[in-house]
Amino acid sequence: MPSSVFPAVQRAFARRVAPGESLAGDAARIARACHEMAVRFHRGGKLIVFGNGGPATDAQHVVVEFVHPVIVGKRALPAISLTNDAASLTGIAQAEGFDEVFAAQLRLLAAPEDIALGLSVDGRCTNVRHGLMAARDLGLLTVGLLGADGGDIARDAVADHVVVARTDDPCIVKEVHVTIYHILWELVHVFFEQPGLLEPEAVR
Amino acid sequence: MSARVEGAIGALYPFLDTQPTDVDAVLAAVARSTAEKAAEIVALRESLVAGHGQRLLDCARQCAAAFQAGGTLFAFGNGGSGTDAQDIAQLFLHPPTAARPLPAISLTQDVALITALSNDVGFEVVFARQVAAFGRTGDIAVGLSTSGGSNNVLRAFGEAARRGMLTVGIAGYDGGRMAESDEIDYLFVVPSASVHRVQEAQTTLYHVLWELTQQALAEEF
Repeated sequence: MPSSVFPAVQRAFARRVAPGESLAGDAARIARACHEMAVRFHRGGKLIVFGNGGPATDAQHVVVEFVHPVIVGKRALPAISLTNDAASLTGIAQAEGFDEVFAAQLRLLAAPEDIALGLSVDGRCTNVRHGLMAARDLGLLTVGLLGADGGDIARDAVADHVVVARTDDPCIVKEVHVTIYHILWELVHVFFEQPGLLEPEAVR
Repeated sequence: MSARVEGAIGALYPFLDTQPTDVDAVLAAVARSTAEKAAEIVALRESLVAGHGQRLLDCARQCAAAFQAGGTLFAFGNGGSGTDAQDIAQLFLHPPTAARPLPAISLTQDVALITALSNDVGFEVVFARQVAAFGRTGDIAVGLSTSGGSNNVLRAFGEAARRGMLTVGIAGYDGGRMAESDEIDYLFVVPSASVHRVQEAQTTLYHVLWELTQQALAEEF
């Protein structure tokens, strides 16, 4: 049956093709980020993930990928989301303002060998920006998954590695991000398991 | 220093055995594999239109009718699908673009309730008991399971069907037990052997269902 029978459906799916294909252009960038993430895990670091709204659910999804791998035999790697605890989030937001909800948690929970992963569909989330800046000050490796034009987070190079899903539709940005963080997980394990690619330090 | 990399990742990246210390070679090879995965998910998404197009439209019309009659959407799933349930709830409730906000609740986010039900009764009832407590005739139940076999998701569909709710399932592989259920009005199955590609395409399916529901509410089709 030709798909033009369902023009509304066809249009919805067609809008996803170019952003999905453009991910291939970020492949080298993603590989470099994964190599550095693997080095951090090898040093005993953990992954700390945060975002607002839909990306808050992505933060939790990333944690599931790393802590409870779908592929049998892959080791669990430590990862936490800063979006889970409504008591902490509302408490910090009430006392210090919503822009500080991630930075405040990072200052208490992060160690220098850790990785901070911030997600923002337009690159213009102040609390994600502040979280990445606090993480960088503490010595963490910082990674941003952004959308649209990358916003001020990409413009100001707030993170060490940035991947931008170049579409203005936040739903499609999320779909590209899901593929990216699945690949992040898989490639971190590729580097992590390969002798000779990481530093000689012992795994904690 | 070389050691055989075994298992699924070893099979996917056979070059790992041959050049264990050449970082640039590995970076180039994994970059190629990333490009292949991008092509794979693009093709998988496009393949869904022919198989699911008509039912996506029909399902969106029924969701729109349910919302117009005062219905609420309840979403549920485990793990990554649990985060999808929360994404669905926030998408309907607080759209990121100009669209009509609609009542939607995720049954995965109240840890007190979920641990209470798991501790006192069992994990298989964590969604069904909530559907029994909140659901009314005319509401919408959206359940996700990449395997199609999650007990607690199937139990929730049973409860939702008994209560006269519209039931929508999103599953992967061959749909598993969800494909055999007569308690799911609309089932959308993503036929891929990769759980990751399944999840990515499932995300697109519920995003498109939301878009089409908004269009149906605006009487655009």
